[in-house]
Amino acid sequence: MNALALLPVLPLCCASLSAAREDKDALPAGASMEKDPKYPPVVSYTLKNGLQLLILEKTFVPTVSFTMLFKVGNVDNPQGKTGLAHLFEHMAFKGTKTINSSGYDKEKAALDKVEAAAQALLAGEAASPPDAKKLEELRAKFNEAEKEADKLIIKDEYLKIYNTLGENGMNAMTSTDYTGYVVSLPASRLEAWMIIESDRFKNAVLREFYKERSVVMEERRMSESDPNRVQWEALFSNAFRAHPYHNPTLGWMDDIKSLTRTDAENFFAQYYVPGNATLSVIGDVKAAEVIKLAEKYFGGWKGRPPAKRAYAEEPAQTAEKKVEVTFKAKPSLRIGFHNPGMDSPDIYALLMVSEVLSNGKTGRFYKNLVEGRQLALYAGSYFSTPGNRYPSLFVVAAAPKAPHTLDEVDAAVMEVIERLKTVPPTQWELDKILNNYEADMIRQLESNPGLGMNLAHNQQVMGDWKYEWKIGSELRKVKPEDVSKAAAKYLTRANRTAVFLREPAAE
Amino acid sequence: MTLPGANPLSALAPDLPPLKSIDFKPPAGDRVVLDNGMVVYLMKDNTLPVVHVTAFIHTGKLNDPADKIGLGELTAGLLKDGGTEKYKPGEIDRKLEFLGASVETSIGNEEARADMTALKKDLDEVLDIYAQVLMKPAFGTDKVKIKRDEALETINRRNDDPGRAAMREAVRRFYGPDHPYGWRAETGTVNAATIADMKAYHANFYRPNNIILAAAGDFASTGGMLAKLKKKFGNWPKGEVKFPAIPPVRIEGKRHIYHIEKDIAQTFIVMLQKGVKRLDPIEYPLTVTNEMLGGGLSSRLAAEIRSRKGLAYSVYSYFAKKPDYGYIVGYCGTKPETYSQALSEMLKQFKLIKSEPAPAEEVDRARDSIVNSFVFKFPTPFELITERAAYEYYGYAPDYLDNYVESIAKTDPAAVLETAKKLFKPEDAMLLVIGSSKKFDKPLSDFGPVTELKEED
Repeated sequence: MNALALLPVLPLCCASLSAAREDKDALPAGASMEKDPKYPPVVSYTLKNGLQLLILEKTFVPTVSFTMLFKVGNVDNPQGKTGLAHLFEHMAFKGTKTINSSGYDKEKAALDKVEAAAQALLAGEAASPPDAKKLEELRAKFNEAEKEADKLIIKDEYLKIYNTLGENGMNAMTSTDYTGYVVSLPASRLEAWMIIESDRFKNAVLREFYKERSVVMEERRMSESDPNRVQWEALFSNAFRAHPYHNPTLGWMDDIKSLTRTDAENFFAQYYVPGNATLSVIGDVKAAEVIKLAEKYFGGWKGRPPAKRAYAEEPAQTAEKKVEVTFKAKPSLRIGFHNPGMDSPDIYALLMVSEVLSNGKTGRFYKNLVEGRQLALYAGSYFSTPGNRYPSLFVVAAAPKAPHTLDEVDAAVMEVIERLKTVPPTQWELDKILNNYEADMIRQLESNPGLGMNLAHNQQVMGDWKYEWKIGSELRKVKPEDVSKAAAKYLTRANRTAVFLREPAAE
Repeated sequence: MTLPGANPLSALAPDLPPLKSIDFKPPAGDRVVLDNGMVVYLMKDNTLPVVHVTAFIHTGKLNDPADKIGLGELTAGLLKDGGTEKYKPGEIDRKLEFLGASVETSIGNEEARADMTALKKDLDEVLDIYAQVLMKPAFGTDKVKIKRDEALETINRRNDDPGRAAMREAVRRFYGPDHPYGWRAETGTVNAATIADMKAYHANFYRPNNIILAAAGDFASTGGMLAKLKKKFGNWPKGEVKFPAIPPVRIEGKRHIYHIEKDIAQTFIVMLQKGVKRLDPIEYPLTVTNEMLGGGLSSRLAAEIRSRKGLAYSVYSYFAKKPDYGYIVGYCGTKPETYSQALSEMLKQFKLIKSEPAPAEEVDRARDSIVNSFVFKFPTPFELITERAAYEYYGYAPDYLDNYVESIAKTDPAAVLETAKKLFKPEDAMLLVIGSSKKFDKPLSDFGPVTELKEED
């Protein structure tokens, strides 16, 4: 069967949209609904301040899923302040001038005292040699200031409002590239969401900053206890020397320790602007109503350009890097090859390389390493990690099955890759991938929060909410020999960083 | 805009209409019993050209023979991977993966599942594979070896992630390593399970009268889909299913601490107390009580240990229902240098909620949170129909879901206090701790008698 004959068949996802619309549901000027049946009938609209809206009506249950996504992530941290984007994301749950506060004027003065005491303490800690007695005084002063400020807080009010509203899946996520804030609510809470969230991003107050910094340090310790995370961190920090993909999104512990509320406020002012955000709203709502309320509550959010960004380009890697990580866990392997970035025409063939290698039990890695030679517990790959805004890594993850060793698995992984360079995939292998891509594109429409995140991310970070559908049509153009060429060009020894996690030698 | 804390919602902007209650009655769907006893739930959903099927097979890891723990998991995992009488294993993978479809079989402690997803156009082809997988697995020798080796390697790696290891070992110690609620597969028990054992296990448990199946998606009519299912499964003969006797649980019920030494950056603490039996109506006030105590970021445990004291990123409580007594968990990951503060606070919060009546406002909020988010149990027709099948599987009354909100809504501060008093005995809780004791700020023995375990134990 030829996959190309099946294309494109994506249906409308909401029968109700074909029904006649009442006048009050008519879309305002500037809004448009996608008419091409290849895509879901998403309504797009941009506020004057630059905030982009994507709305899709789906009506099985009376719920609505929101994603507010900013193009700001770990790459955008100032030098020496890794983890700041992520810590700010935590702070965005701490309320505003009116939420979580018993009176902001008084509270502001108290928060300023905390900040002054925190900065004095940081300076004291940085002094060389440290003065133990002075440090103790500075710490006492800081604790006192924090205690005073805490008296003016209405604790966790922001979270409690959402509890009462009946939230589901309230969360946020920071990546190298973006920060997303998500929540689903009963559909009748549409206006409540608009009120609370417009306030959140216009009037955020970063109270309880230093306690939350400690929470993030615990998050970092949790990560340091998990061999899988330890190994990924080692891969990125070794594969990238100059570009900020070098840095873990959680931040380096020493950087986190010295982050201040002032840092986070500056970061907020620079990047949390409406023109740097996309809001997706998916569920049992009327697009016209969403736009009307967004205008009402987000229209007054002052637009200004986000801070300029220019980061060191990663110099070409010229020799293989091998990294050893010792950890009390069974051995595993992570490999990264620099990819050319999402703007390169080669990226589609490279995506196919990844799928040929690791799509399912008929993928070459499984057939060869897990089933055929029975060396590996698992072996998989992905064409672009940790981000998509800049050239990133094609990665392979694998682990040996005892008594086979890490080195055997590494050699076998590289053999399978070498073979792909000379033996192009069959048409069956490519058609399988295209069929899977198409099925995934249909199934992703099932989950409202999943779809909302996807649309907002693709609009704000990749420049078009239809991005993944468009990738699908690019993939169809990839020929078998293109896949081999891409493997030969990028999956080379010189372009490779391999991280070997091994147990410590027995005592 | 001002939002005073006492009653935040009443103070939202004046033009906001008062919050309406959520008017959603979950549709019943169709329930049919085939002549051979298989229960089938159906719901048509034409929004996308996809069909989903899931089946609950009445068994679970707790039904393994004691000397062959892992048999159920090997059997479930091989239904598809080991091929069928009609399809060779490679043929199944090639067909399904080419169509972008999936058939997956798995087992948990108390349920075995078989899931299927297919595009509408491929329904007949995929459904045929799915039915063969459930009814006629072949357990091909080569595939059994691969699956067994995978199970052995997974055992080999079971302590890699200390957070997961802590939870598993805590439950194991709580019920005892020999009780089906607590046991785990070992190299010896996995190696002891033969292909003949797997075939016998399949023949006993995988019977139509022991299965509840749910299907939803883009079929023309429920009658049409039912006819397809009858055609595939209608001739599958009934059989008597023999269930092993599960011994009653014996819970020590007094403070005991297990410690596993590991030099890692965080210390993982699991606290376990005797919980409730599955169908005990105390689950309603307990659900509200747990929501207040450790159900989310604004709960007492998260507020005190995480937000106020900055001692943890991950801290929560929940309860697991079982046919016999389940358990109530408190969980926390915290740095070893201040672990005792986090642990003391956790114990204190369990004690506080049973000794002082909670403010009505807090109980109202926890209750509203559960009632108002009830609708999220059913994000899609398939998830709705799967919920209905699951509640029947676990023996709940047919109107359980329909009465759930009402039952939760009855909970008041007195019920919370009474429930907490009845169930929480933090002073007797069992604790399991994985961490680097050299860095502990206080010896664990300050909290009770300690047994040192090794990771390999």
